[in-house]
Amino acid sequence: MIQLIHVSKRYDQRLALSDVTFEIGKGEFVLLMGPSGAGKSTLLRMLIGAERPDEGQIFVQQKNVTTLKPSDIPYLRRKVGTVFQDFRLLPKKSVFDNVALPLLVQGTSPADIRRKVTEALRAVGVEHKRDQLPAGLSTGEQQRVCIARAIVNGPVVLLADEPTGNLDPALTSEIIELFKLINARGTTVVVATHDPLVMAQVNRRVLTLSQGRLLPEQRVMG
Amino acid sequence: MVAILTTAFTLACVGVFLLVYVNLRTAAGSLQDDVKIMVYLDDRLSADSVAEVEQHLRSDRAVASLLFISKEQALGEFKAQFPSESHLLEGLGQNPLPASFVVALSPLFHSPDAIKRWAERMRQVGGVSKVDYNQDWIDALATVIRSIELVAIGIGVILSAAAVTIIANTIRLTLFARRDEIAILRLIGATSSFIRVPYLLEGAVLGALGSALSLVMLKCMYELFRQQMRTMGRFAGLDNLIAFFPPSVCLALIAVGMGLGVAGSFVSMRRFGGAKA
Repeated sequence: MIQLIHVSKRYDQRLALSDVTFEIGKGEFVLLMGPSGAGKSTLLRMLIGAERPDEGQIFVQQKNVTTLKPSDIPYLRRKVGTVFQDFRLLPKKSVFDNVALPLLVQGTSPADIRRKVTEALRAVGVEHKRDQLPAGLSTGEQQRVCIARAIVNGPVVLLADEPTGNLDPALTSEIIELFKLINARGTTVVVATHDPLVMAQVNRRVLTLSQGRLLPEQRVMG
Repeated sequence: MVAILTTAFTLACVGVFLLVYVNLRTAAGSLQDDVKIMVYLDDRLSADSVAEVEQHLRSDRAVASLLFISKEQALGEFKAQFPSESHLLEGLGQNPLPASFVVALSPLFHSPDAIKRWAERMRQVGGVSKVDYNQDWIDALATVIRSIELVAIGIGVILSAAAVTIIANTIRLTLFARRDEIAILRLIGATSSFIRVPYLLEGAVLGALGSALSLVMLKCMYELFRQQMRTMGRFAGLDNLIAFFPPSVCLALIAVGMGLGVAGSFVSMRRFGGAKA
């Protein structure tokens, strides 16, 4: 599903990633751990073609992301849902419209949009907030809307970059449970976090980055 | 709204100049239409030979119209135009003025070179003694028309570039204000065309509205100008000589405004880089 082969990336003199190699299989739930600046966000951005490695190869669903033409990147991103720490919701659009965006850019019919958005909102438990603006939601609800937007078009992979960074422990647990549920439906989930609480709640494979290098793998029992 | 007004004012400047240019060009063109070429005939020419020359002229596709002036008519005209000098001819005993054809050439043959070539050709025709036209006047007129065209192109290009820059800056401000939205759209898989098309349309609408507004402003200025001319005794009647753009040109100008708007959007999007994810 996801494969990195000797991937390295530098920003000026700073080494963001150094010779990173790993593979993530279909349907896995993987935690990408490491302190701030370890290279987690860089790695996730590379998986959606927002950054290119200086060395190495990246494959997502057998497609070599490093050699993708810029015009093909949008089609890769339609298969990969992304969840952000800062939610990145459009403030002037309703919850429904925000979640509908990925379908809108793909040219989905209005009837399908209504059906799929309703399903996604129901799956994350914010269906009753569909007509509200993001500003009227709690942080937990905003993150749920962000997750609904990421899963609305049935991506094969869900990437989450510090998805619980702005949430309290109770909300963190809820969001992690949501990711587990999404994973249980067959979606590969990769969560980048430095939050030990997340690691404690997920009994899954952990990839740890430290100063751009991948440390030996560990498994956490939750 | 500010962008539409600014674009309208810029395009109105282009329009004012274009209107002046079109009217000057029309006036110069009508002067060119008035150019007459005198084809003088040999004095000894028989009536049959005159008819042959006339036939030759009539079959020439460069000739738009033709008027024969006999020796007697030429004398009569001379006397009518210069009554005090008519005694000069009486002393000569016989009429020294030659018969002639007054020729007007069709518009395709109005350039100085074409007139010159045609006159040269006519000089070779048997029975023609002289071909005369006001070459200096025609050359000067052609120079004036060329100058007007060059200045029009220069000013048109500069003001069009100004319009493109104004629209480009407006779109860039919009892009900047929506940079987060654009970044999100890119992250969720929007193609470049999905992101660009609305801004290209916005530029097109801006350009078209600006152009339409500039035409309204121009029309108002034009009517005011004509009214002023009518009330000033010295220029009375001249107001009928100046014309506004016909509807087809108005539509073309709106299309040009639309094109400039699209160009402006395109320029700003290239510079903006489309808020890369």
